[in-house]
Amino acid sequence: MKAVECKNVWMIYRNFMEKSVTALRGVSLDIETGEIFGILGPNGAGKTTLISVLSTILIPTKGDVRILGMDAFKNTKKVRELINISSGVRLPWGMKVYECLRFYALCYGITDRSIIEKLIADFELEEYRNTRFDDLSAGNKQKLNLARAFLNSPEVVFLDEPTANLDPDIARKIREMILQIIDRNDTTVILTTHNMREAEMLCERIAFIRDGKIIAEGTAEELKKFIKANERIIVRFKEPVKSLPISVPYELNGNSAIFYVDNAEKATPKIVLELSNAGIEVESVKMEEITLEDVFIELSENY
Amino acid sequence: MVTKNEFYAIFEMLFWPLVTLISVGLLGEFLYLSKNEIAFIIIGVIALSVVHIVQIDVTYVMLLDMWSMSLKYIIVSPMPFYRMVLGAWLFGAVRGVVSLSLLIILSSAIFNFSFELPFSSALIFAIGLFASAMLIGIFNCILILIFGRRAEIFAWTLTAIVMIFCGIYYPVTILPEPFRTFGLLIPITHFLEYFRSFYGFSPTLENPLVIGIGETVIYLLVLLITAELSMKRARKTGLVLKLSG
Repeated sequence: MKAVECKNVWMIYRNFMEKSVTALRGVSLDIETGEIFGILGPNGAGKTTLISVLSTILIPTKGDVRILGMDAFKNTKKVRELINISSGVRLPWGMKVYECLRFYALCYGITDRSIIEKLIADFELEEYRNTRFDDLSAGNKQKLNLARAFLNSPEVVFLDEPTANLDPDIARKIREMILQIIDRNDTTVILTTHNMREAEMLCERIAFIRDGKIIAEGTAEELKKFIKANERIIVRFKEPVKSLPISVPYELNGNSAIFYVDNAEKATPKIVLELSNAGIEVESVKMEEITLEDVFIELSENY
Repeated sequence: MVTKNEFYAIFEMLFWPLVTLISVGLLGEFLYLSKNEIAFIIIGVIALSVVHIVQIDVTYVMLLDMWSMSLKYIIVSPMPFYRMVLGAWLFGAVRGVVSLSLLIILSSAIFNFSFELPFSSALIFAIGLFASAMLIGIFNCILILIFGRRAEIFAWTLTAIVMIFCGIYYPVTILPEPFRTFGLLIPITHFLEYFRSFYGFSPTLENPLVIGIGETVIYLLVLLITAELSMKRARKTGLVLKLSG
């Protein structure tokens, strides 16, 4: 059974006295159970709208959404018992950590306090249990929101930028916590992120969304093929250059250039020789593998 | 749970009702009103204060989550809207009882107001007021779900608007038409008239309690259905996401 099936979903925001905005344009997706699925895209691409539709917060203008085999908008109550979402770090400011989890647990009809205790321990919030939400650090606010998202042991959880605006060490810790919990519960995760390393590290498959459309979908390796090269060579020149007499695809930026090649080790001597023959003095050469970030930039700019 | 840590929630429950009671009571003494006339306006003060406290707790179902930008977490939970309202209303009712008791004790101590209702009638009056407050609270939630943040102001003004028409300090019979008829369509009018009938003031219509309860039940059903439809509409237009930050 698929965790999420979404067919030709359109979302048009129409608000009182405001211009309508089309946020999703015919999005179709299939996500397997137990999968960690990433949704990447630039700001305003429709990521948050998409997971809001998939999590039943929004009702799409058109299209079908099935969660765990059920129509999300005909069996909404049943679907909501099996899913949860963490989006942003906002929670009622006056509630203390324990109270907050207890409040949301009650919204799911959960009265077993040991579930709350376990999540407080899992997310290392023990010493803050009596701290008001407003007085928590950004990292602990995010931990609390994630703990809240796992209260009902969801079969499908939607995480909207779970490590946004966090220090790298805290972000790493939070990623580890998420992985531990989803491994234990075999949870399907749909994650949006701006962090390419995070997407590459966590996600089994990734969809790129731009202007409300899915423009590419696949594993990180499959997506890297969009660049049509495996590696890149970054060459820094002693002086700015206006053009290069080289047949390899490149991007020129003043006194540096990036060459996209399949085998950097083989291509580098040839490129350096051609540059030298053209009278261009090379200061340094660096070889790198293509990353998801390159794909992100390529897809964001050219598709 | 949402409001219990909020200082202003406690302030709202004690400070404004006391200020209103003392100032209106003193005004009555200054104007040499009779004991029953002072009772008439004190009943109005008590009703206004209690209705405001209970309705604001129901409105907080939307308002606090909207302010803290966490409305989506309530929406994504399987809890239906009517249960959220009921929970908030029960909490508001507890605060309302505290405020009601305090106001009755103080008005009796300061202005010799004697509470002449039998316990069962007082209970019905209180439940009637609390239920009317729930209606105002749900109506506020509906306005927020339709107009978004622009409707926030109604949380503090709607009670006052309703109170103008339901005769808080005067009988609705003095209102010109169509306001008089409008006043009679508000359940609080009848609950106030029921309370005041124990102090020698005749109600405009016979059986004010039955009319008040009947109106409350009808409005409650209509408002709950409207709230569900408004929520659905807000999910379709994307307003819920805007209210969630």
